[in-house]
Amino acid sequence: MDFDDTWHPATHPSGAVLPSLLALAEALPRKPSGLELLLAFNVGIEVQGRLLRFSREAHNIPERFHPPSVVGVMGSAAASAKLLSLSALQCSHALAVAASSAGAPLANTATQTKPLHIGNATRRGLEAAQLVQLGLKGNPAILDMDYGFGIYYKDYNPSAMPDCADGGFDWALEKQDVAFKRIPAHLGMHWVADAALAARAKIEAVRSFESSEIRKITLRVPPSKYINCPLPTSQHQARHSFQFNACSALLDNNLTVDSFNNTQINRKDLKELLSKVKMETPEDNKPNFEKMYGAVELETNDGQRYAARCNTFYGHWRKPLRQEDLIQKFKSNASTVLTSEGVDGIVDVIENIENEKDCASLFSYLKMENQQKV
Amino acid sequence: MILTQKTLKPVLAARMLHMSAVKVLERPAPEPTVTSSFGRFISEVTPQHLSQVVLNRSKRMVLDNIGVGLIGTTTDVFQLALEHCQHMYGPDGVSSVYGRKGTRLSPTLAAFVNGVATHSMDFDDTWHPATHPSGAVLPALLALSDMMPINKPTGLDFLLAFNVGIEIQGRLLRFSNEARNIPKRFHPPTVVGPMGSAAACARLLSLNESQCSHALAIAASLSGAPMANAATQSKPLHIANAARLGLEAALLASRGLEASPLVLDDTPGVAGFSAFYEDYAPQRLEMPSENSKFLLEMQDMGFKRFPAHLGMHWVADAAASINKLLVGAGAGSVLPEHEARHSFQFNACTALLDGEVTVQSFTPAAIKRPNLHALLNCVRVENPNDNLANFNVMYGEVQVTLRGGDILTGRCDTFYGHWRNPLTNESLRKKFRSNASTVLPPEQVERLIDDVENLDQMEDCTPILSKLH
Repeated sequence: MDFDDTWHPATHPSGAVLPSLLALAEALPRKPSGLELLLAFNVGIEVQGRLLRFSREAHNIPERFHPPSVVGVMGSAAASAKLLSLSALQCSHALAVAASSAGAPLANTATQTKPLHIGNATRRGLEAAQLVQLGLKGNPAILDMDYGFGIYYKDYNPSAMPDCADGGFDWALEKQDVAFKRIPAHLGMHWVADAALAARAKIEAVRSFESSEIRKITLRVPPSKYINCPLPTSQHQARHSFQFNACSALLDNNLTVDSFNNTQINRKDLKELLSKVKMETPEDNKPNFEKMYGAVELETNDGQRYAARCNTFYGHWRKPLRQEDLIQKFKSNASTVLTSEGVDGIVDVIENIENEKDCASLFSYLKMENQQKV
Repeated sequence: MILTQKTLKPVLAARMLHMSAVKVLERPAPEPTVTSSFGRFISEVTPQHLSQVVLNRSKRMVLDNIGVGLIGTTTDVFQLALEHCQHMYGPDGVSSVYGRKGTRLSPTLAAFVNGVATHSMDFDDTWHPATHPSGAVLPALLALSDMMPINKPTGLDFLLAFNVGIEIQGRLLRFSNEARNIPKRFHPPTVVGPMGSAAACARLLSLNESQCSHALAIAASLSGAPMANAATQSKPLHIANAARLGLEAALLASRGLEASPLVLDDTPGVAGFSAFYEDYAPQRLEMPSENSKFLLEMQDMGFKRFPAHLGMHWVADAAASINKLLVGAGAGSVLPEHEARHSFQFNACTALLDGEVTVQSFTPAAIKRPNLHALLNCVRVENPNDNLANFNVMYGEVQVTLRGGDILTGRCDTFYGHWRNPLTNESLRKKFRSNASTVLPPEQVERLIDDVENLDQMEDCTPILSKLH
């Protein structure tokens, strides 16, 4: 659903790591403690962040390879290798073997196959670590060579990982938080959604909002072909459409999980609004999650204009979700399939995970299926 | 820069078009995409499109690929891959494993381990533009055939699917000039291999045009591995995963999974298959006809005579023509087997010493030989400007200076086994017998030869499957 976290430089770090760690933790004969799991998780995140910094190209919204398919499998291999307590050399080989599973083209984002990019990243990273544990070797200089990991980038400039001194380690996550999504859609959509809601609020400050009274909608967004979709016909396209997210937010004064189902996508009044959209890509709007903005300008039939701009949507790392809102999002999502005992249990375990002896309770909560699913 | 988006108006007018007898209004059909043309080809090609040349050449490829797969089961990396599949995955005994009678794995895993076996010794076929086409396709088709419940494919269906897998790879390689030279970034079997496997499996599953196109698109997200792993123990997994993931892509497509309908087309700003190349110029694929034939008809396959990178065959043949001994002393360092298979120096010196390079040349005992290392210490490599890194035009030259001062030169422009100088059927069978008999009894080896020879006549291809172990 494109609902998982996003980082800068751009990738979806957690989805590539958590599933392989959970699967591995359940399978290991000696169950890891909460702290071990959390450490392995952070290794997986850190490796992704480091690799993304090896290229300037990685700082912008991608055009060639989908980043989770490039760094995600490396993060998963690193995290799995950590949890398996592989030796230093084995960890290098795990990264090398994983590199041979990297790289899916961007064209499959905005399709039903996109989720498999993360799915395969996490699975194949785990497999890399397992194969190495059995003795498989790859090229131990995989990150150094241009014809190694460097093939996924036009500019590639690797640097060595600093040593873990006694004093501690400079984690990338400490310096750069992730963004959590409020809407199950590509990150870029959050800017236009917040701008559209603000523009509608400006209308409602002086009159009532009628979508039939909108004559023109101008969106000012960064240039990026795969999130520019004037008339989406599938849920996947809708999640990757500036136009759809702006109009949907305008129409409903809200944008939720349900906004993307087929009935909602095909609404006549939504399509009416979509037909009135004009897209602009101003020079100063860079295709980069650190720098971009979203602006919406509405023109009504009587010639009035109402404009709003969003520089930092709520949930972005510069304006992080408050803890209660993050938990609210979790509960809303999890309760579609788990019982309330499971939902609350998971919140509690994770809150306190560094003190958990073996995470057994986490796995049992995850299995508490709500028999009457919504 | 302002990018204006045209507003959309519903096209209702079309419904009210009247066709009169005098003036038939033609609305031009939407320009067919490259991607859809591939989907159409895979779903519509029939055995009747296979010429005798293509049938003969592809049967040779099937035989050779089975043979190298069988001997490949004696390697450590195969053993490792098999253990991994048996321990980390639930039991799912569907598809056969080369050389292992009691062992069956789920289809994608069987394709994987058989693929590892196939490429484990770098002994499988090579084409131009460069890739190892058969190893990415055959293991997947064999596994799929084992999986199909009742209507087993005929031998001809099987051969058709195999040729589809080869053709798709060849066509994709022609989309880029970069592909013509020895690769520097992506290892070609990982780029076109999954696509070939997906195409072949989609064909065998008789998927419709749209599903075939989606199978290719799904496979594209599973493509791509770096050259850096190509001279390591991981290399066989490149072919293995190509076979396995292409099969997986076809199976997912058969269940309705969809991906980009433009994956092979060139869309600026959103890379599809073009992501793997610096220059990319795709072409629509036409159905085979008098004017447009299968690539295999126009460009034969190269088979290896010994298990090493194709380039080694030139220097080996050049060196074999100078078979004099250089006396020397000293111990060199021991080369790992994978490096030996990718070392011009190693292969040249082995041929100088022994008169030929064989499967046995890469055993630990052979690699360690002091007299071989004495020769290796004397080697200097040159890269003349006229020797291009391209399997169609390269040459190998070996010049040996003897103690007395005499200079002996051997040069090879086209090694025996290259597509310009193909192995005779007799040589190909000799290679197969030598490989297959490492794990199968001789009578079974002979029956396999006969079965593959008659594959296009078989009502049911599965008797071959039961002879692979």
